[in-house]
Amino acid sequence: MSDAFSKFKEYSVAEFFTKNRQMLGFSGKVRSLTTIVHEYITNSLDACEEAGIMPEIEVWVENAPEEKVRVKVRDNGPGIPKSHIGRALGVMLAGSKFNRYMQQRGQQGIGATGCTMFSLITTGQHVKVVSDYGGKRVKADIGIDFKSNKAVLTEVVEGDSPEGGRGLYVDALFGDVKYEKSSKGVHEYLRRTALANPHATIIFNDPEGARFEFPRSVEQLPPRPFEVKPHPLGLGAHDLLEMSKRAGGYSRLSAFMQNELARVSLNKVKELQELVPDVDLGMKPDRLNWEQAERIVRAFQKVKWIAPATNSVIPIGKGQVEKSLNNILGPEFVYVTERPPKIYRGGIPFTVEVGIAYGGQKPSPGGELMRFANRAPLLFDAGGCAITATVKNIDWKRYNIRNFDDEPLTLFINFSSVHVPYTSAGKQSISDEEEVVDEIRNAVQESLRNVGRHLSGKRREKEKGQKRKVIMRYVGQLSSDLADLADEGEKEGKLKETLTSIIERRFE
Amino acid sequence: MSDKAALEKLEKLGKSMVAQVEKEKSPTFETPLRSRGNIDFDESYGFLRLGAKKEERTFLNVSQARTFMQTVAVANKTKKFLQEGLHTSIRGLFYQLKFSLGEDLDEDLFSEQSESNALIEDLEVSLGIKREDLHLTTDRKGVVAGNMVVTDSFGGEETKINCAKQGRSGWMVPSDVDNGMDFVDVNAKYVLVVEKDALWQRLNEDQFWKKDNCILITPKGQASRGCRRLIRKLADKGLPVYVFTDCDAWGWYIYWTIKTGSMNLAYLGRDFSIPEAKFIGVTMGDIDEYDFLKKLTIKAKDIDVKRAQEMMEYPWISRHKEWVKELKKVLKSKKKIEQDALQGQKLTFVGEYIREKIGGEKWLP
Repeated sequence: MSDAFSKFKEYSVAEFFTKNRQMLGFSGKVRSLTTIVHEYITNSLDACEEAGIMPEIEVWVENAPEEKVRVKVRDNGPGIPKSHIGRALGVMLAGSKFNRYMQQRGQQGIGATGCTMFSLITTGQHVKVVSDYGGKRVKADIGIDFKSNKAVLTEVVEGDSPEGGRGLYVDALFGDVKYEKSSKGVHEYLRRTALANPHATIIFNDPEGARFEFPRSVEQLPPRPFEVKPHPLGLGAHDLLEMSKRAGGYSRLSAFMQNELARVSLNKVKELQELVPDVDLGMKPDRLNWEQAERIVRAFQKVKWIAPATNSVIPIGKGQVEKSLNNILGPEFVYVTERPPKIYRGGIPFTVEVGIAYGGQKPSPGGELMRFANRAPLLFDAGGCAITATVKNIDWKRYNIRNFDDEPLTLFINFSSVHVPYTSAGKQSISDEEEVVDEIRNAVQESLRNVGRHLSGKRREKEKGQKRKVIMRYVGQLSSDLADLADEGEKEGKLKETLTSIIERRFE
Repeated sequence: MSDKAALEKLEKLGKSMVAQVEKEKSPTFETPLRSRGNIDFDESYGFLRLGAKKEERTFLNVSQARTFMQTVAVANKTKKFLQEGLHTSIRGLFYQLKFSLGEDLDEDLFSEQSESNALIEDLEVSLGIKREDLHLTTDRKGVVAGNMVVTDSFGGEETKINCAKQGRSGWMVPSDVDNGMDFVDVNAKYVLVVEKDALWQRLNEDQFWKKDNCILITPKGQASRGCRRLIRKLADKGLPVYVFTDCDAWGWYIYWTIKTGSMNLAYLGRDFSIPEAKFIGVTMGDIDEYDFLKKLTIKAKDIDVKRAQEMMEYPWISRHKEWVKELKKVLKSKKKIEQDALQGQKLTFVGEYIREKIGGEKWLP
């Protein structure tokens, strides 16, 4: 490798990071801290689930001198073998999650390495790691060599894990971040993560030493997401072009499409060829150009396809969300929707789950909207999100709710899909695709109808009580007058007794 | 209705409600609906009455509970009045019932008199009884002169009243002419009802009632309940009834209330209407008949015109073409004449006018 090239590389990685901090979620001091915790937690959850372990994750945020903040995360996952530690925490864009067409937590892609880099840039410190893997313990400080985009491991100590020891412990120092107990802070992020991941136990220790435990509500791991082939209706010209360039081993575009896309059969290829007579589908895939890709994508829209398989979408599940909301909020009433997957952009399956809780423990007294994409809380960019916009347009009065902001409501909305239509690279808000908006609205309305029924029942009860009180006031006078009027004064007491019991029965 | 009969009705109402409670049911009673949709005109007799629609008052309904209790309280209180032989006004009743419902309740049985008016009507219609029968008095209004002797038993004393010997003031019609009041002798040819007291005084001074032998009555505007009952009773004795009012919609409406009853008080029904009454004037036609009246008309007010329009729409009025003609004249000319105007040329002309109308049978139905 020539000097010039490595220099370019050094420049490019650092440059990439600084220039794209915003894109990676490192914008604003509060948000940066939340992003750091998000990256570690997501990795831990994924590692546990992949290894079939019920996750138990503990997070510490501590204030350090010079306005620095220390973040520590410990999980009970499988740990990382020494050979992989560097790659996992010290190499940019090394994740295995790229270009996999499967349902994943809102992943920034640069993951824990991004945190390592952020720590280096803001404090010059390396990240301390302790990994217990298969009975072996590795302790190391991890940094990044920008020149070679390689992890730098120092202070490496190897040994045996303590009895039953397993998991990963990360300890890192950051600058340019700030802890805040707000709706965008770490505490709220972890509370919501716990809500959307009822199989995980999450413990948070805040800078003031307070400990918050969100115990798991279910003893079952969620089903693993799996890779699916993209459906032709879900592809744009850009996607098709990129896939065809990447696909090796195919000599013909038609074969590539039959094998790499869903629902493309030999017959469908023939149909397509008739629609695009000028494009030779027998060409080598890497020879496809933009214009041809565009024409093929247009032809995709004209062919009648078998609908895409919707089993790639894995919602949290009605029962799980119910347990979770009950467990963490302890509300008076809970309703969770269970709706079949829908399709947007003609080919992308998705589901919307809405859980609504009335009453219970809440950080603020009024209505609270919680957005999630594939179980990951969306705390930022609420303004541009289809979920927020749809909820804003709800006519609350139809559901016996005077004003969302004044009611003790928690609205939990999880969007699940292999492909979440984020509005921007920040991955914090969902774009207003027509089918997505419709489905969110329908799901929210379904949940509101149920909460509305609960509330009107409550109101009826209250009104019944008030009615009973009103009528009861008059029983004494009426009994006395009635007995007198009928010339049966001796019956006054009995009349009063009977009237009281009639009223109690009628308005019980 | 005798006090005994009224007492029985009240007691029966009480017993039926007690029986309902004993059957574990809400106490209720039925009352004819008094809304406009349930008012119709009785063709055969000629008066406004309530139709067959009824509604139920029940205690176990939040919106009715308070009024229900109040109605029973009023019924029970009037029962006491009947037993004690004492009378009082609705205001007096209101004060009798204005007390707290209990130490722990910040609520009075009655807080406004207006609350009691509607439920007294309820009692009247549902029991088929007049408030006067329940010893509830109304304001007195109306003056009588004529060859008529009555006895009045009140406050434990019986008085004989000769209406021909009441000088310039006349005999004031009491609020109740049914209970404790009886005719001893009525020796007259007809009844003349004059809208205004001023005209009554004119005719009294002229000794009109003596010369023409009639019972001269002024209701002083809209006729009171007592006044209407008195006229009804005199009509029952076979005396023709003639009504003399201003020539405007207001005066004419006074006539129609006497004749058929009004919509508001349709629940009073037949006992308070005099369908055989005839209208002798003043009419718009009189302007053509009596030249001097032309100059004595005054401009009709908006309210007169509006009332005239309403009267045209009442079927029991509009079926008389003579009245439609009169009303149309008002609507066209927007003029009216007061009965006082008849004195315009000569004070004693009023009597001549009446004689000409009755003698010449120049009346409207």
